[in-house]
Amino acid sequence: MALTSPPPPEADELPAAAAPVPDAGTRRSRRRGRGTGQARAMVRSPLVWVTGVAVLWFAAAFLVLPNLSLLGTTFFPDGQFSVRAVEKLLGSERAMRTLGNSFLLAITLSITVNIVGVFIVLVTQYFRVRGSRLLWLGYATTLIYGGIVLAAGYNFIYGRFGFVTNLALNIWPDLDRDWFSGYFAVVFVMTFATTTNHMLFLSSSLAKIDFASIEAAKLMGASTWTILRRIVLPVMRPMLFAVTVLTFLIGLGALTAPLVLGGPDFQTVAPLIVDLSRSPVTRDIAALLAIVLGLATIVLLAIMNRAEKSGVYFSVAKVATPIQKQPIPNPVANAVVHVLAYLVWLIYLVPVVLIVLFSFVDARSILAGSITLDSFTLQNYITVFTTPGAIRPFIVSVVYSALAAVVVVVGLLFVARVLQRYRNPVTSLIEYVLHIPWILPTVLIALGLVMTFDRPNGWVGGAVLTGTPVLLLVAYIVIKIPFTLRLLKAAFASVPDSLEDASRILGAKSLTAFRRVIIPLVLPTAAAITALNFNSLLDDYDAAIFLYHPLYKPLGVAIQESTRGENNLDAMPITFVYTVLLMIIMGLVMYFVYGRGASAGTPRRPGRAARRRAASSAAAGASVAPVDGATATGATEGHDQTPRRGGRA
Amino acid sequence: MIRFDGVDVTFGEHRAVRGLDLEIREGEFFTLLGPSGCGKTTALRSLAGFIQPTAGRIFIGDRDVTNVASEKRGVGMVFQNYALFPSMNVRENIAFGLAVRKAPKAEQRRLVDEIADRTGLASAQLDKNVAELSGGQQQRVAIARALVLTPKILLLDEPLSNLDAKLRVQLREQLKQLQNEVGVTTVYVTHDQEEALTLSDRIAVLDAGQLQQVGTPEEIYDRSATSFVCRFIGESNRLTPAVLRRLRESAAASDAASDLPLLDENAESYVRPEKVAVTVGAPASGAAEGVLSVTGTVEGRTYHGSHSVYTVMVDDAALRVSVPGSAAAKRWEPGTQVTLGIDPHWVLQYPGS
Repeated sequence: MALTSPPPPEADELPAAAAPVPDAGTRRSRRRGRGTGQARAMVRSPLVWVTGVAVLWFAAAFLVLPNLSLLGTTFFPDGQFSVRAVEKLLGSERAMRTLGNSFLLAITLSITVNIVGVFIVLVTQYFRVRGSRLLWLGYATTLIYGGIVLAAGYNFIYGRFGFVTNLALNIWPDLDRDWFSGYFAVVFVMTFATTTNHMLFLSSSLAKIDFASIEAAKLMGASTWTILRRIVLPVMRPMLFAVTVLTFLIGLGALTAPLVLGGPDFQTVAPLIVDLSRSPVTRDIAALLAIVLGLATIVLLAIMNRAEKSGVYFSVAKVATPIQKQPIPNPVANAVVHVLAYLVWLIYLVPVVLIVLFSFVDARSILAGSITLDSFTLQNYITVFTTPGAIRPFIVSVVYSALAAVVVVVGLLFVARVLQRYRNPVTSLIEYVLHIPWILPTVLIALGLVMTFDRPNGWVGGAVLTGTPVLLLVAYIVIKIPFTLRLLKAAFASVPDSLEDASRILGAKSLTAFRRVIIPLVLPTAAAITALNFNSLLDDYDAAIFLYHPLYKPLGVAIQESTRGENNLDAMPITFVYTVLLMIIMGLVMYFVYGRGASAGTPRRPGRAARRRAASSAAAGASVAPVDGATATGATEGHDQTPRRGGRA
Repeated sequence: MIRFDGVDVTFGEHRAVRGLDLEIREGEFFTLLGPSGCGKTTALRSLAGFIQPTAGRIFIGDRDVTNVASEKRGVGMVFQNYALFPSMNVRENIAFGLAVRKAPKAEQRRLVDEIADRTGLASAQLDKNVAELSGGQQQRVAIARALVLTPKILLLDEPLSNLDAKLRVQLREQLKQLQNEVGVTTVYVTHDQEEALTLSDRIAVLDAGQLQQVGTPEEIYDRSATSFVCRFIGESNRLTPAVLRRLRESAAASDAASDLPLLDENAESYVRPEKVAVTVGAPASGAAEGVLSVTGTVEGRTYHGSHSVYTVMVDDAALRVSVPGSAAAKRWEPGTQVTLGIDPHWVLQYPGS
């Protein structure tokens, strides 16, 4: 989901949200008290040894080595330090221009996305606006529809041969076919596609405002505007800052939207990296550009981290009163807000609705604009499901995503447990290393893997992985590590120590306690993370474009190819079908992860309530990254207080 | 000062407050007491203007405020969770209402300093973030923030419920003292009967949206108007018909029988544990000085430091009896035969309930 790929912060860890866990202190000190005993237990546990060796090998081979070799290729091309790549980059007008464009895009989006994002959050969550649920559903379409799919969708509708373009040409024959291209188109599409972070994280920080404080302000005579300005927005400010940084990063690393809609005039860094990496001659510039992108990302995340630490508002209320929607007293303002809300809603909805409709129509009718009731058939679906070539990318992506999602969760289940249980310099170091993918753009990770494993490599038994289907799987696993680790650790942390102590005193061995008592409790979270991982990998483009095997072409690549030129227009309806299928799958996953818990309210049977709590703690983490990215967990972990990025944009 | 006139509040199907008639006097510390869900908070929030009553009127002074916006009612409120603004420091929190009224900066400063002093906030705390304060200090900020606007009425919604037991008692006393000094009419909501008894000038007990009794703490405790009030406030022993019959027999044997109130055998009856006297052995002949007596057997004892509570079986009823002190002489083992003396004036009877 390259385009939206909101490197997401996590609800719970977030600014206004992060209420101090009352017993965190005592729990931690108790742990410290058990320190030496713990170290001994750690060394003696076979689980720790097996997990440790496996994680060290994986981290060294796939997290550290590729990045080192990327730096090596760039700065030590022949074993000697050289700045030739830098000179080549500075000398390339094209590269410098794309860098400029990327920064321009990042700055523009920081403004536009904030305006739209804050607006949609306020009209759906804060102000009393008619039909706000309906509005929410429209705005939330970006949760199940983003990245290359979204860029392709906009292209097929507003692009050179798009339906709307064709319609418009009937009215204004002089219209430039490429009207929806370049800076404007990229900004427009990305503005509406990347409000997901706002929807998730701003909403959650708004929801955590204590409504009693709004009532208190009202009682003291504050107006709606004063309350918004002085009570509500200040509390959301740290989160606003965080999502702004994330938006900036999304703009900086944007790949699919500029690729599909940028046209010749608006090329940005990420697509250029893809381009340059194809030739050995320019590969060093590609690597250098990726490093620049990576550095910018690290710097910005560091700034965000710092700012956040100084500006977090802990809610003072132990029990916050749930927020109630506020009427807009001024009738004119109220009308204006309603009109704007529905206009924005239409912008979100039109492409989705058209894509669903067009998935039932053949390409020629769409292009000719001559759609009648008879044009609607199931033919496209039949084609996709009966033509091996058409269904193949879909199956490839499903298999890749499912494999990666399961492997990363199962593997990290043990790692997270060990890291959460034993805190010492070694485990801290491992934890930091495992977070590398979180601070690096996907493009850089993928490029590093390509360039490291294109020759026999001792770390993987002397095999060459580049050009094999395995490397993309490795990349998917790597990308998903930080998000998975943080949420699993949070899940383990939320299991009271006393449960394990109790099972031990009843005679269970450590491993039995883990398997029979602890695992069942984190299972709902693990399942939710697996589902979210699966979702976000399904339409991946950013990693795939570097790593895919021509025989196993994933969906993202197939969709991107369908947007290229007029010759591929027959592929358009197929892409629409893919899109609809993706939206259904993602919608279902979202529903299972968030939907059921969200409509709580009525008391349920205890067993179920407990399960639901577990699931929702997962989902809380999950509010996280429905789309993509890594995340942190609650305030239980000192250094985990930052919104996370997944690094694909 | 404040008058609820047939106030009804309905949420969907649920009638949270039913036909509430209440009068609260100027300068009074008035408590709305009841179990959770009894409608006390709803009544308070109606008075604050956060809830629109479905029927009835609310008056403040002579003014009908039923449809008046919250901020125009001249009431201040302290919320259960204090509702402090987390993005502002202590001073900004207290000054918020003044700032909204556009009071001059110097004036704001003076008033904040004054009220902080009064509520026991040190000036060093004024520049702190609210999250840095302890629960008790946060509560002082919430009170200061409400009082700085010199409201005619101060509403307190379970303000002590988030504090630990010791602090709760300490702040309770300071709160009462502050109210005495400021003299503001105070409406206090709590489910804690001890809090209500110690703080209030008068108490209104509510149950299931219905007003049960209004009165001074003594009236509420000693002369509970309904069996609900009797059971909700303090401890009480239910007297079974068999025990009542024994008491009546004791009364008949007494010389002063004609002066004693006649106990109704069929009424729901209670007596509080500390109103029962215990002596060892068989009763002296007849009832002494208007005290009726029944015999029973000690079942068990719990020790509470300042007093002990004995469980005494009288026929089919287990009565809990509170005995002050812990002198060894007063330690009765289970099985000891004792006589219980009960003044029928202290027996609370609710016929037909």
